[in-house]
Amino acid sequence: MPELKTTALSDVVSVTYINKENAVFRREGDFLSLRVTLPEEEGIDGEMTGGEKYYERIYLHRSFPYEHPYRYISVLDRDSVEIGIISDIDEFGGETAAMLRAELDRKYFAPVIKKILSVKERYGYSYWEVIADDGRRLSFTMRDTFRSILKVTPEHVFLTDNDSNRYEIKNTEELDRKSYKRIELYL
Amino acid sequence: MSERTELTSRLCRINDGVSPDDVIVAFAFDLMPEGNLPVDGFVAVTASHVYVYEDDRLAADFDSEKISEYIFTNGVGCVFAEIVYGGEHMLLCRATMGHRDLIASVVWQLNRRRERGTYSYAYEDDVDVKCPNCGRRYPPGSHVCPHCTAKSGYFKRIWEIAKPYRYFIFFSIAMYFVSAGVQLLPAYINKILIDDYIRADNAFELSQTAEFIIGFLGVILSLLGVNVLIRLLGIVRGLTLIEAGTRMMVALRGMVFDKIQRLSVSKISKRTAGELMNRVTDDTNQLQNFIMNDIGGFVEQILIFLAVSVIIISYDWRLAVLILIPVPIVIAANRLFHQFMRRVFHRQWVMNSRANTILHDIFSGIRVVKAFGMEHREMERYDRATRDECSAQIKAETFFAKFSPMMSFLMGIGEFFLLYYVGAKILSKEMTLGDMQLFTTYVSIIYGPLRWLSNFPRRYERTMTSIVKIFDIIDEDVDVDDKENAVELDIKGRIEFSDVSFGYDSGNNVLHGIDLTVEPGDFVGIVGRSGVGKSTLINLVMRLYDVDEGSIKIDGVDIRDISQSSLRSQIGVVLQETFLFSGTIYENIAYAKPTATRDEVLAAAKLAGAHSFIMKMPDAYNTRVGERGHTLSGGERQRIAIARALLHDPRILILDEATASLDTETEKQIQDALATLSKNRTTLAIAHRLSTLRNATKLIVLDKGTVAEVGTHDELMRRRGIYYGLVMAQRQMSRMSTGA
Repeated sequence: MPELKTTALSDVVSVTYINKENAVFRREGDFLSLRVTLPEEEGIDGEMTGGEKYYERIYLHRSFPYEHPYRYISVLDRDSVEIGIISDIDEFGGETAAMLRAELDRKYFAPVIKKILSVKERYGYSYWEVIADDGRRLSFTMRDTFRSILKVTPEHVFLTDNDSNRYEIKNTEELDRKSYKRIELYL
Repeated sequence: MSERTELTSRLCRINDGVSPDDVIVAFAFDLMPEGNLPVDGFVAVTASHVYVYEDDRLAADFDSEKISEYIFTNGVGCVFAEIVYGGEHMLLCRATMGHRDLIASVVWQLNRRRERGTYSYAYEDDVDVKCPNCGRRYPPGSHVCPHCTAKSGYFKRIWEIAKPYRYFIFFSIAMYFVSAGVQLLPAYINKILIDDYIRADNAFELSQTAEFIIGFLGVILSLLGVNVLIRLLGIVRGLTLIEAGTRMMVALRGMVFDKIQRLSVSKISKRTAGELMNRVTDDTNQLQNFIMNDIGGFVEQILIFLAVSVIIISYDWRLAVLILIPVPIVIAANRLFHQFMRRVFHRQWVMNSRANTILHDIFSGIRVVKAFGMEHREMERYDRATRDECSAQIKAETFFAKFSPMMSFLMGIGEFFLLYYVGAKILSKEMTLGDMQLFTTYVSIIYGPLRWLSNFPRRYERTMTSIVKIFDIIDEDVDVDDKENAVELDIKGRIEFSDVSFGYDSGNNVLHGIDLTVEPGDFVGIVGRSGVGKSTLINLVMRLYDVDEGSIKIDGVDIRDISQSSLRSQIGVVLQETFLFSGTIYENIAYAKPTATRDEVLAAAKLAGAHSFIMKMPDAYNTRVGERGHTLSGGERQRIAIARALLHDPRILILDEATASLDTETEKQIQDALATLSKNRTTLAIAHRLSTLRNATKLIVLDKGTVAEVGTHDELMRRRGIYYGLVMAQRQMSRMSTGA
């Protein structure tokens, strides 16, 4: 019997990667532009895609925001159509990497909580007073507290408040004892 | 004062060159462009400038004329306002999520102003985001601050609801008064029994007299009588409370359910079905329990505590001091104990629910688990979860086993003081054995209310939480509501969109600037890529949502002026996901027209191509479907849904991928049926399979949220635009699938 060769997934679908060989990111105004050369392909409607393209404003989106904040970054155009994926920002090195990082840091905003001053629960809402890592005192309200705490790992958690602002606790075990006691009930 | 006026006066203070009348709009932001630093900033737009101030320092000054577009962008945990300035994208400001809705609305209005010169403050002036009292933001979609609403406010409202049943409640509270008094009697009768009869100095001689025997029997009988009375009171009290509690629960459930039904789809879909069910059932139950058990109990326990205290104090104040000394200690210990208990048992509860979730997951996904051969891994996962639960449980129970006896000991410690004190008094003949019996009973009684009352705050808190959650729903603003003078309209079928814009959440408009007219009797096909807003368009016609801008008119009347029941009773819908209620097939078809005759149902089913498969089932039209009923295939469900819509005989027929799960042959049959049927009624149809729309009198092609092309099939093919592209792509696909 002849041996049948199976097709690997990567033979059928290819993820378009954006790397320093095929792409140049530049800061234009306050945002990033992209000049990219992609392999030519025939699309389903018979049109050819690929070749050199220029995007005056691109958007970055994390594929695995909690696990890999600077890897697997999707690059999108204004219509939210994906141009390609950056597998690791550090591959770009130097200024470009710093620029891409800054762009991501600007988009993903979540103050890091260092200390929990008080958590008061009242009628289904919880009222939090915390100190962020930059020393600022923040207060916010959470509804449905249990379900608004996302555990990336048992120790690494994100809190989402009423307005969908996010707050990060990098390691609950490293909080001081009193702070830990205040959040323990919800973990 | 609105944010705009406040910021305008601030701007005029800082910048002499601006007068308040110049300012079109001003809005605040709170994040620096980069990094996590906060800032007290604002953006002010005048006819000639856009100023950006950070901590009252001018950070940027743009020439309004050179701005070609305003852009609102959602970040994650923050939002941006951007402009295209001389061809370059510039950042105006960055803000936390609390500013999202306002900034999105301002950006939208600024673009409109640039295009058409109009600016509407309707949204800005309507958003009342902060509680004036505590400065906290209201929960989304509500105008009630849960933090500041006084408890008394909630109780007042509950009392309003309870009004019809208040006599029951008064009566049962009165019963508690009586029963609290009566409960103290047996101890006293016991004392008489012991002192005057059993331990009487000359009991033996006296026992021969008739008087003594009658008295003795009398005491025993009164003891019996009091006991019977206590039970009787309990029964009567129970009955009145059940009456009041259940009636109130039914009223409250009705209110919550009614409110949920009135809320728009967008508000409802923010909550899960499970959450809504909790509101209707669990929270109202909690309140019922509170009324039935806790309010009366509270009164009773306090009364008993006070009465016993008074009795003991008036009898011998030194004795009272001895008994009451441990009370504060017991209360403190009890509180501490409960805090610990809450912690450990909560942990156990979390572990338990985690294990249950895993189990639920595995069972609902059992086909996937088996298909991928993952039984072993799932077993391990469940095993780990139960082991965790087990260890948490052991911890909790060990704690309980150690501390519970200690608590009981503490609570009983007063009795030892009492024994010593009263024992000494008896020996010195100052007290009798009956006194001792009386006091030991009272001491054991007095700790009962204490224990009960120390748990009361927790129950009270839980009930308040339920009450607040219930009112959360009842207070929710109804966004899609009938106007007071809403009309009942006899629909002919002319639909007119003028300049309609709509988005499910701020900043993301799904549709914008839609203008189109559908004449009565038109069969309109709506075409476009996935996610382009086709379903949104028909949701707006059904008024499941209200448009953000512009208007939709049916026969010249704005649909917001038509009563919703009148509107929807004349629209028939077959949706992509067909939902069958649990019941028979007959009931499901007749759902929208309960008065339909059997003949009509048969005809509708036949027209929808459902009759033949229904007749293949042993119970035919009486076959039970829905949950745990007969499982129907996707195509069968769809045909039942079509029959349901046809029976309804609507003026406007809406088909959202109505025939997508059918094979081409069946689809054609139904298409033909629909073609005859739709002859004199307006039909809006969405279909991915373009051949479905070959009967359409008009095709509308949506692209990027706007109407890109309108025309008949032939016209659009000649135009060689988007529609042409879609048709070509599908032809190619079908060629490939037929192997040609």
